[in-house]
Amino acid sequence: MVKMVKAAGTFGRSGTHDFVLLRASAIIMALYTIFMVSFLVSADTLNYAVWTNLFAHLGMKIFTMLALTSVLIHGWIGIWQVITDYVKISGLRAFIQFVVSVALIVYWLAGLLVVWPVEGV
Amino acid sequence: MLISVGLLVWALATSLQSAEGFAMVHELFTGFIAKFILWGILTALGYHLVAGIRHMIMDMGYFEELVSGRITAQISFVLGIVLSVLAGVWLW
Repeated sequence: MVKMVKAAGTFGRSGTHDFVLLRASAIIMALYTIFMVSFLVSADTLNYAVWTNLFAHLGMKIFTMLALTSVLIHGWIGIWQVITDYVKISGLRAFIQFVVSVALIVYWLAGLLVVWPVEGV
Repeated sequence: MLISVGLLVWALATSLQSAEGFAMVHELFTGFIAKFILWGILTALGYHLVAGIRHMIMDMGYFEELVSGRITAQISFVLGIVLSVLAGVWLW
């Protein structure tokens, strides 16, 4: 009874799932943003050593990937909600959903492959 | 926001992969254009964050009348502008 409407483009299993995922991912990204801005604002010297040492920590790698996973989920559901409202031509809507989703997945992969080998100085 | 995240991930990738990459990004951000783009990204992100928080408060049943909705919308505009100015001060 729950899944009456067959929505194929979004990320969540149902509207309620989307609702929860969107907000949960938003909270994670907000925390990451606050952390990163605080770090950058308070860092008196910012050089390659400082920057790589930050991302050398496993915790920072996990937090970054958690944030990028949240970006993927948030962006996917977010764009689906926007284009289902505004893009009435289904072919165009499918194309936009595809391009955005692929871009988000590429960001995720790029993030993983970049932070994974960082060892710091 | 999609473009913003793309640029940020590119900057992260370039700056972490090598000392030269870091130097290039660091050098880039001393120039006006990169600072202006980053300022735009931070402004968009700031407002998106504020409006998102307002939206999550509204999920709990607040600000749903015409008056309260209108006022909190204006407040979120102001907060967005404040964050944008702060970002500008920090960048320049």
